[in-house]
Amino acid sequence: MAPRESSQDPVGTPDPVEKGFATLATLRIGVKAFVDKDGEKRKAEILSIQQRKGQPYYYVHYEEFNKRLDEWIQAERIDLSKEVEWPAPEKPEKKKTGTTQSKNSKADSKVPKGQKRPRPGTSSEASATPEATSANIPGKAPRPSKAGGKENSESIAVVQTEVLDGSTRLDDEEIDLEDVQDAAAAAKAAAPETFSREEEIEKLRTSGSMTQNQTEISRVRNLTRIQMGAHEIEPWYFSPYPIEYTEEDMMYICEFCLSYFGELRQFERHRAKCTLLHPPGNEIYRDDYISFFEIDGRRQRTYCRNLCLISKLFLDHKTLYYDVDPFLFYCMCTRDEYGCHLVGYFSKEKDSAEGYNLACILTLPQHQRKGFGRLLMAFSYELSKREGKLGSPEKPLSDLGLLGYRAYWQETVIDILMEGRSEVTVEELSALSAMTTNDVLHTLQNLNMLRYTKGQHVIVLTDAVVAAKEKQKEKEKLKKRHNIDPERLQWKPPVFTAASRTWNW
Amino acid sequence: MTRAGVAGARFRQRKLSTKQTLQVLREDQVEKIDDDPQRHVPKVETGVEKTEETEHHLQAAISASQAAAVGGKVAQIYIPTPDTVVSSLQYERLYSLRFSQPATYIRFSSTVEDCNGHAYCMTAEDDAFLSSVNEKKSASALCNEDRFEEVMTFFEQTAQSKQPFAMVDNAPVLTYDEMESFFDETISESARSFAKDIYPHWKSQRLRRGNKTLMPSLKFETGAETDDSDPYVCFRRREVRQVRKTRGRDAQSSEKLKRLRKELEDARQLVAMVKQREIMRRDILAVDRQLFEQRAKVKDAKRSLGIKGDDEDLVNQKPQKKKTSEATPMQRPASTQLRLSARPDGRSSELDLVLLSDVLTEKENEIQKEIDTKIIQHQRWNEGYIDLTRRPLTPPPEPNVDSGFRTAITEFLPTPPSSVSSEVMDLDGDDGIHDSGREGLVTFRYASPSLDGYCQSRPSFRRRVGRGGRLMIDRRGMRLQSTEAIDERIVDKFKYDHDDEDEEPTYAVDPYDTLNMRYRASIIGNSREQAAHQAAQIQAVRRAQEEKTVASSPAPAS
Ligand SMILES: [Zn+2]
Repeated sequence: MAPRESSQDPVGTPDPVEKGFATLATLRIGVKAFVDKDGEKRKAEILSIQQRKGQPYYYVHYEEFNKRLDEWIQAERIDLSKEVEWPAPEKPEKKKTGTTQSKNSKADSKVPKGQKRPRPGTSSEASATPEATSANIPGKAPRPSKAGGKENSESIAVVQTEVLDGSTRLDDEEIDLEDVQDAAAAAKAAAPETFSREEEIEKLRTSGSMTQNQTEISRVRNLTRIQMGAHEIEPWYFSPYPIEYTEEDMMYICEFCLSYFGELRQFERHRAKCTLLHPPGNEIYRDDYISFFEIDGRRQRTYCRNLCLISKLFLDHKTLYYDVDPFLFYCMCTRDEYGCHLVGYFSKEKDSAEGYNLACILTLPQHQRKGFGRLLMAFSYELSKREGKLGSPEKPLSDLGLLGYRAYWQETVIDILMEGRSEVTVEELSALSAMTTNDVLHTLQNLNMLRYTKGQHVIVLTDAVVAAKEKQKEKEKLKKRHNIDPERLQWKPPVFTAASRTWNW
Repeated sequence: MTRAGVAGARFRQRKLSTKQTLQVLREDQVEKIDDDPQRHVPKVETGVEKTEETEHHLQAAISASQAAAVGGKVAQIYIPTPDTVVSSLQYERLYSLRFSQPATYIRFSSTVEDCNGHAYCMTAEDDAFLSSVNEKKSASALCNEDRFEEVMTFFEQTAQSKQPFAMVDNAPVLTYDEMESFFDETISESARSFAKDIYPHWKSQRLRRGNKTLMPSLKFETGAETDDSDPYVCFRRREVRQVRKTRGRDAQSSEKLKRLRKELEDARQLVAMVKQREIMRRDILAVDRQLFEQRAKVKDAKRSLGIKGDDEDLVNQKPQKKKTSEATPMQRPASTQLRLSARPDGRSSELDLVLLSDVLTEKENEIQKEIDTKIIQHQRWNEGYIDLTRRPLTPPPEPNVDSGFRTAITEFLPTPPSSVSSEVMDLDGDDGIHDSGREGLVTFRYASPSLDGYCQSRPSFRRRVGRGGRLMIDRRGMRLQSTEAIDERIVDKFKYDHDDEDEEPTYAVDPYDTLNMRYRASIIGNSREQAAHQAAQIQAVRRAQEEKTVASSPAPAS
């Protein structure tokens, strides 16, 4: 996790970058230039160019910044006094597919589940075609996902208690290693491409056109602004709302049914008719702060689609490629006399072969940083406890997801350890928290609590951890901290037939 | 590159079993390791995409939390996100105070469509059009917004259902006459009256959008090749998943199919057998009837010929062995030996309950078998030992009077061939029962048996071989059969009522008569392994006796 020198793919060598000075006229999609961002110059890639009222606007992605900070800028913020990087000539098709396929093929096992899409990172061959690629990989059958829940299955873990070489990374997931190998093999298998100078120039010329690659559309945020409840929110990512809405300055979303409208008048008419006051499902949890509603993707297709569309605005890795049927949606609401206001939700596969207890999780941006994410996570583990299973969130996690989960895991594990037991096994910690043993181990390692001393592993409640806990207790005295009360959960694990999980109707 | 190779190249990796007990210590309980604790925070898989892992703000947040983990003083770092602001729209204007929370948790299954009224929502343009329409109308016949939306919704839905591919195949906009012909219950009378006024507006709007739906809709798959790469195409149907079947899934479904097939086969078999049974019943009835008629003829013939004699040939003679069926009433309780509650209705409609009772019996048999094997195991285990402690777990056999007692089933075999008799004995278990005096025989209880009604309801017997080869029968749970006088007339009344083959013949025999018992005991004595078993014993006894007689008296013994 230490920043690596290069953000290149693990396989393949970085292509030599062509640099030079640019003018406004020669700026094109794919160019990386220095852009003024909050008073500092950052390298940014131009993803899209539009003319508005005769002025060019550039959609830029800042290197090493999350995509949610991508934005439309005007020309004056681009620093043309510095050299820009020209886009690499279109890579030889085959080689490129070789490397991206490896990603996609890993993705392949995930995409059909419909909630997360893998992001092939720097490759612009975005995730829209994961299906098509798997068949073409020479000699590689799609890897079946490990049944029985690989998240839960390991009882022996290789742990690093001390790593002296800071740059080594522990690839404890076999699958990763093999994917890299497969990719390497695929890359090798592809015939080495040689290009004449002329061809290369021609490539350069044609590939740098202003027209957008279909698949690149999804790299550019498509909605300007949304209005929802009492808030106006800036979307973070692309979401496949009907394309008509991309032209609107504002899209209106009904807070209760999550329907969307491009025109205020229409939205008002909808509000006059809409009778929904809470998510359309059964309330399975209620305390004086929040309620949880359980919603079956199959039975509430419209609501769940709306929910997915809105959450796609804020979740980069979510994919709406497939329908919502095999998922349950747990919507968390606050209540007042207006109704039950959605603040966040998580989705969960009705039957996860990988042992995931959560697919996507989102606290709506207008309600973030208020501790709702923690409640969502806690609730997901509460469900797992009720099911008698261990669970882990589906990967990949987003940056916010990772931080949220780490905080939750740390708090949970430390709380258990602070109860005063003198010894414990990882499995016990796991059973008490419904966290997988892997997540428990990682948490202990992250906190530097797993040590190896006198020939055996021990757990050390470090001074830092104890101090942090004390501080938190002090804080709680001043401000009430909300927790999930298992007593208030009225829920039995739902049972589904195989058909209802798989088929649309 | 093997996995082991990779692991081997790593530094200081140790296997840790998740089952291993780990001590929980405080910092001061372990020796200080290093001056730079930061270096010892291991790198852990994050679960974040590799390309995103390196992002500036995430890295900052991670290092902050890691610094905190080792005691550094750092402020919590947030990842910056785009702004959200309070909307300029007045919330109260759009949402109203109408929610009152029920006391119980909400149960709700209506869909969004159910709660939204007419799907179409008016635009500002529609407003202008509507007011222009209403201008020409009298105040009593104005079209309100709801009616307008109702009509528009009807037009939209009709177009959608009649021309589902209007977007793709450039179908012409439906005409008003067509629309009118589709009027159904989804459009109210009052709305219909405005349909003609509204149609031109709808049509022009529709044409402007290339005959697409007026309310923008999501892009679903059309089957075109461009679908796959179009990021706007979403919520594809999931049948595709069926293609990706794992071997496990295959095996699972083939297993299910096999089972289904077998179950269907079984059901078919069952029906076929029921049919066969009914056919046989019919045949029996026919035969019975024939028999009856023949007998009637015989009777007539006898009468006309003046033949006197008993009426033996006019009734069904019981085959001899049928006499054993007297045991049947006793066998019933025996089958529920487990003291499970007897099926109260088991006899009332046996036909219907055949399956259930079969299942129950099978279950009981299984349990019984299990118990039996356990008993045997326990006996072997305890062989040669007697538990003489107070309140022993496995009481010695003698004090426990249950031991060796058998229910009386086997006792009612007046004239069976000895082989049959021994078979019946076999059913009842191993021969350990016969020589209860033997050391090592143990009885034990699995649960407190309901003693009441157990001993009393079923008479039981124990056969012992005493000193000198004496045969002893212990009885228990005896209730003398009611000796009330058997009414001759009643007996006579049922004399010929033997059409049910299962019905046991009534014998005026007292099964508890000592004489009968002695007889039965001798039968048991003849049983197969009994014979083998006892031969030696008896011979030994005889030998001893002979020696005794030789020594004491001249009279020949036995
Ligand atoms: Zn609504």
